[in-house]
Amino acid sequence: MADHVETLASRSTQADVPRQATAGAPLLHAIWRFCRRKPLGALGGAIVLVMIVMAVFAPYIAHYTYDETIRGARMKPPSAQFWMGTDNLGRDIWSRVVYGARISVTVGFCAVLIANVLATSIGITSGYLGGKYDLCVQRVVDAWQSFPFLVVILSIMAVLGPGLLNIILALGFFGAANASRVVRGATVSVAQNVYIEAARALGAGHVRVMVRHILPNVAATIIVWATIGLGAFILAESALSFLGFGVPPPYPSWGGMLSGSGRSFFSQAPWIAIYPGLAISLAVFGFNMLGDALRDVLDPRLRGAGGRMR
Amino acid sequence: MRKYVLRRLLIATSSLFLASLVVFSLPRMIPGDVVQLMLEERAYGKDLEDLRAKLGLNRPIYIQYFEWAGRVVQGELGESLWTKRPVLEELGRRLPVSLKLGLLALLFSVSIALPIGILAAIRQDSLADYVARSLAIVGLSVPGFWIATMVILLPSLWWNWSPPIQFTEFSVDPWAHVSQFIIPAFILGIASSAAIMRLTRAQLLEVLRQDYVRTAWAKGVRESAVVLKHSLKNSLIPVITVLGIQIAQILGGTVIFETIFGLPGMGRFLFDAINQRDYPVIQGVNLVIVSVVVLMNLAVDACYAYLDPRIRY
Amino acid sequence: MGTANPKLSPRLTRRDLLKAGLAVGATLSAEPVLTPGRLWAQPKRGGILRVRGYDPPHFDPHQTLNFKTNNTLSFVYSKLVRHKVGAGVTPGTFTVEPDLAERWEEPDDTTVVFHLRKGVRWPNKPPLNGRELIAEDVKFTYDRFLTEKANPLKFMLDPVDRVEVVDRYTVRFRLKDPFVWLLNMLANPTGTWIVAREMVEKYGDLKRAETAVGTGPFILERYEPNVKTVFRRNPDYFRPGLPSVDGVDWLVMEDEAAQLAAYRSGQIDCGPWHQWAVRQQDLAALKKSHPQLAYQDFLSNVTTGIYMRTDKPPFNDVRVRRAISHAVDRRAIIEAVFLRGEPTPAIGRGLTEWSPRIDQLGPGAQYYRHDPKEARRLLAEAGFPQGLKTTLTVTGGYGSDVLDSFQLAQRQLKESGIEAELKVQEYGAYIATTFLGKYEGMALGPFSIAWEPHTALYGMYTPEQSRNSGHVADAKIVSMLKQQMRTKDLEARRKLIFDIQRYAAEQQYYVYLYSPMFTGSWQPSVKNYASNPSFDYGNRAAALWIDR
Repeated sequence: MADHVETLASRSTQADVPRQATAGAPLLHAIWRFCRRKPLGALGGAIVLVMIVMAVFAPYIAHYTYDETIRGARMKPPSAQFWMGTDNLGRDIWSRVVYGARISVTVGFCAVLIANVLATSIGITSGYLGGKYDLCVQRVVDAWQSFPFLVVILSIMAVLGPGLLNIILALGFFGAANASRVVRGATVSVAQNVYIEAARALGAGHVRVMVRHILPNVAATIIVWATIGLGAFILAESALSFLGFGVPPPYPSWGGMLSGSGRSFFSQAPWIAIYPGLAISLAVFGFNMLGDALRDVLDPRLRGAGGRMR
Repeated sequence: MRKYVLRRLLIATSSLFLASLVVFSLPRMIPGDVVQLMLEERAYGKDLEDLRAKLGLNRPIYIQYFEWAGRVVQGELGESLWTKRPVLEELGRRLPVSLKLGLLALLFSVSIALPIGILAAIRQDSLADYVARSLAIVGLSVPGFWIATMVILLPSLWWNWSPPIQFTEFSVDPWAHVSQFIIPAFILGIASSAAIMRLTRAQLLEVLRQDYVRTAWAKGVRESAVVLKHSLKNSLIPVITVLGIQIAQILGGTVIFETIFGLPGMGRFLFDAINQRDYPVIQGVNLVIVSVVVLMNLAVDACYAYLDPRIRY
Repeated sequence: MGTANPKLSPRLTRRDLLKAGLAVGATLSAEPVLTPGRLWAQPKRGGILRVRGYDPPHFDPHQTLNFKTNNTLSFVYSKLVRHKVGAGVTPGTFTVEPDLAERWEEPDDTTVVFHLRKGVRWPNKPPLNGRELIAEDVKFTYDRFLTEKANPLKFMLDPVDRVEVVDRYTVRFRLKDPFVWLLNMLANPTGTWIVAREMVEKYGDLKRAETAVGTGPFILERYEPNVKTVFRRNPDYFRPGLPSVDGVDWLVMEDEAAQLAAYRSGQIDCGPWHQWAVRQQDLAALKKSHPQLAYQDFLSNVTTGIYMRTDKPPFNDVRVRRAISHAVDRRAIIEAVFLRGEPTPAIGRGLTEWSPRIDQLGPGAQYYRHDPKEARRLLAEAGFPQGLKTTLTVTGGYGSDVLDSFQLAQRQLKESGIEAELKVQEYGAYIATTFLGKYEGMALGPFSIAWEPHTALYGMYTPEQSRNSGHVADAKIVSMLKQQMRTKDLEARRKLIFDIQRYAAEQQYYVYLYSPMFTGSWQPSVKNYASNPSFDYGNRAAALWIDR
């Protein structure tokens, strides 16, 4: 998450090319070009798509409900009936992985949404308005960022208590700090542009400028951060599960499956842990690859530079 | 340069002040009956009044803050409600452990990330680039606690061997002391190495496109010289910034590894304190962690100013 | 395991005797050393016992009931009386025998006089400086026990009026009412350690590690928080020749995977789980790869069950409670989560002398049968033909395994028409509120551990007691409880205890679920040790020896 401070906060002397919504090229064409140029990113995108499909259509894809215990089917290895085997309570792991996608996607998307809304409002106003306001806000963000992940999350959870909503709030709140830095950096770059001054000269109010001119150009940064942040939040949830602050039962979360019965029964039934673990890894891999590729494509300064050295 | 550092120092102080406000107000955010809870369950105080006095909750807020801040500046961080030992003493024992773990992890992380990042940049979009990036992401995608579990469990299942679970002090056995950090630091380092690798790659890519680099290239300077001499120093600047942030993440996030590998560090200490509602400890540890982070960021900023002559704030 | 006396249980069959015999045989075979020729083997002196230990929150026995504190203190302190230890002790039996008190007598129903051993010395460290332990120490300890405001264990000695010093080596306990369990209370390994006045005066309380100085078999040499506690042999211990081991390394290991790895790789001498056991999940693999280790099965003396607001509708209706009992499938929970164990009556099955099997519970036994149809029928009869909706409060603080069992129970309830919304509370909040009766609807969790039936029953069924989490107010049970407290004759008392449990099974105020199975394990080099679910690690460690 932190590495996004990089490209956009660095002192580049090149002027930015204003980005407008690709009005001409149809979306499909753009996607096809993207796949050809960035195969890894395309792979990541495919993984993400599969995850979202799994999350949305979970009841149709899963064979059982996530807390359904099947009689006499405890700790069965993967078979034709139980694609990923069953766990110690006799629940089908494939179904739980599928429903787990729903939880992960929900937690991830909601947390990212909260983080981004917070970050965007803070980052854009701070970067655009500058001056004393910027100075103060950045000090607050500094302080906020100095608290390590665990401290923030655990403290929030200790006060709020366990629960799905509380986890989302805690993660979103934590992620906003880093994201706001990134957004601010991008805003600062964009705000230097001549056309912004022109808009102001024409009488546009601050809010209008921020929303209509800055936001679209910063959108790329936000999207990239959001994509990679999703992967990070999924990992964070699994770490929280290990510490006992994860998604509470009966909701199946991949992190919970991995750190709970997956760990307990590993020597007897490794599949209980392997499949959720694979799911986490694939999801994080996918989001990161996609985010990386999106950044390569959407960031104007890296685009078209073709920098091969031979 | 001096003005810059001074300015950063001021900024650091204000961050610390703000952070201390947060640290201070944390117990005051507890729902009211939790104090009752602490009393009934853990007998932290003789009665409600006594407990409130212990937590300093019976006086106006700003007075409480100043008293607390005053004590803190003198190094008096209070006493644990749970164990009645001074918080500072506990921290003094645990901070070195966490720092060693964190710094060693950072070392691993950088020594893995930099070479791979450089390679990926100078061979952008080639097979080597893809492999390097994929490897980095794979290292990042597997939850740390899972890798740690496997490292501990699998050798014991296959060969009846496991890394030492018990903590050894440096004074008892220096080699054992150092070696017990190696495995957890390595695993911890893998995760942050991915972030650093990608950043290095991106930064180096950007620098390599600069005019002065192209000039050197056109002049026929050897590739290695172009990369090492002209590009690397400039591209490392934001990388150093990120290191500062990584240390923050590592310091407070070591609880998982400390639990699994039996290292008595601050992460575990803080986690236990939160579970036990030991507020003086929570405050003390938070404050120390935040201070360390702010200090490190300050150091990073100073390096930044030293490395980049264009910085004039 | 030996349970009832043939006179009490007319249905004691050959099968029971055979089972008892097998259990004894199993115990003997678990310890390869106990073959007739080797029974008289001489203890070997020396060696350090390395075991998984705990980090106590603090060291004051009168300010907590935390098992970690009591486990740790058991090495350095002695009590007036203790439970028997050694390889010959069957797990689940807690026989009271002399410790600091060498004999006692009961001049009347409300008086017990203890005669202390002479020549027992406190360690030679300031401020105690090796002085002798005398009656004043006992009086001081129990005065503090009874008057310390923060002592959650006070209820154990509720019937004690006062403690008096008769002479240098004689102490008298005066009771408010006859209380036949006094000796058992004093032998319980929680909070009954004899402490010294000077320590309290010097430090204010006993929370710091420096104050953990006692007349027990070991001396606390070094305490490293979160890492380990190092105990070494007490050279002045009043039992000559003991302990055989030079010391114990009490190693803190929080993580299950790390614990197992340490045991498998020989870094510790005994099983890494609680009570020096191995988790059931790891047992099969361990037995295969390490057949030479000792394994001893024993049932837990902790009961877990569903409790509910029996003072409010709908749970004040016995039919609803019986329906709940029919709804849960105890066997399925045990198999799925704990792998082995037994359904339990009001007293944990691990307390073998006082806990009958379910089929010995008489008419109440039928409610233990898993029968969703019958559950629905009872609910309809009680006025809930559509089933009922309520909440089920639990905590995740006992581990993910136990949480799994709660989820399973919730599902089973659902199948019988009881829609219980699962509320997961954080452990600290749960212990301070729900566990003490401050909740609505139903809750589910372990009840307390017990080494005699009184603690397991009294607090939970007596109105106004903080442990009465189900808000039970049943005059019949209260009078039965009061009666057993004053019944001297052991057999008559046992009959009463059994009757209470039978009545409890009929009324189902608490829907008791299971007692899981534990399997103690230790390296073959450890001799004269038997598992027993008790916090008295110190005495067990003092009795064993190591033969590497």
